[in-house]
Amino acid sequence: MISPPATIWIVIAAYNEGRAIGDVIGALRPEGYSVVVVDDCSRDETAAVARQAGASVLRHAINLGQGAALQTGIEFALAQGAEILVTFDADGQHRVSDIPALTAALGDAHADFALGSRVLGGTVNAPPSRKLLLWLATVFTRLTTGMRITDTHNGLRAMTRRGAQAIKLRQNRMAHASEILDQIAASGLTYVEVPVTIEYSEYSLAKGQSFGDALTIVFDLFARRLHR
Amino acid sequence: MIAQILLSVLLLAAGLFGWQTFRRAPLIGASAMAAAAGGLYFVWIPEHATRLAAFAGIGRGVDLILYIWVAISLLLLLHLHLKLRVQMELITTLARAIALAEARQERRPG
Repeated sequence: MISPPATIWIVIAAYNEGRAIGDVIGALRPEGYSVVVVDDCSRDETAAVARQAGASVLRHAINLGQGAALQTGIEFALAQGAEILVTFDADGQHRVSDIPALTAALGDAHADFALGSRVLGGTVNAPPSRKLLLWLATVFTRLTTGMRITDTHNGLRAMTRRGAQAIKLRQNRMAHASEILDQIAASGLTYVEVPVTIEYSEYSLAKGQSFGDALTIVFDLFARRLHR
Repeated sequence: MIAQILLSVLLLAAGLFGWQTFRRAPLIGASAMAAAAGGLYFVWIPEHATRLAAFAGIGRGVDLILYIWVAISLLLLLHLHLKLRVQMELITTLARAIALAEARQERRPG
């Protein structure tokens, strides 16, 4: 299954990413991808820069979190007729060159989700503390979902239209990455892991997750199960 | 006797809260009802509370009742947190609808 790039929508959640978002969209647009940026009530010029770079821009009136912004972007892309959706980080740590492998894997493996794996692929400039955090998160995800995945909380993933319609993110903040995996596991949707490379920079590491954030994610996942 | 009545009223209120909460948050509702029932039992039969407290290594029966009360308070806090999360989900739905509507408006030709 080879989809024309225009029917592939790149969904980017952005919050105060004015410094990086222009270059990210500038690398995506020449490949022919449609790009939607959900500006999560940034205080800087993120929305203007993204629009200038050629993306469709939606704006949350209040800051809700990355998970909420991705869900908004996914709903927008589906309404535009997207056949394949790719979630992509705004801080420049994902490679555009990894996208074809992700989208191709959906067809090759007849999967609904192609999950980027930096363990199968690689990392650039990843500090040991980040590697330890990711290893712990992966062990946690394996235990809670039963999925035999090698990487978790990797924001680079592709999904078919059917897959995107099947998930509904209710975790507004960082726990959405675990929630997607939970929903994939619960729904019986098929997935495949694809090697990708994550390039950490001083900028992306400053915006990344800490051990404190990891505890918040665990609490959010627990709290979500306590109410309907 | 006055303290017993006062505590009983408070524990009955906590039990009622558990009953109301049970439908939306079964774990919290059931825990609150169980803690309130246990508290009521020990308020009116304090010698059992003292015996159980000694068995649990707490010391005095009245301490056990206080501990139960603290547990109920923590459950109430958790419930408030969950309520806030539900409110946030509603706000999210609203903010998303506005963002999507504005985008539709922008893309409309003319």
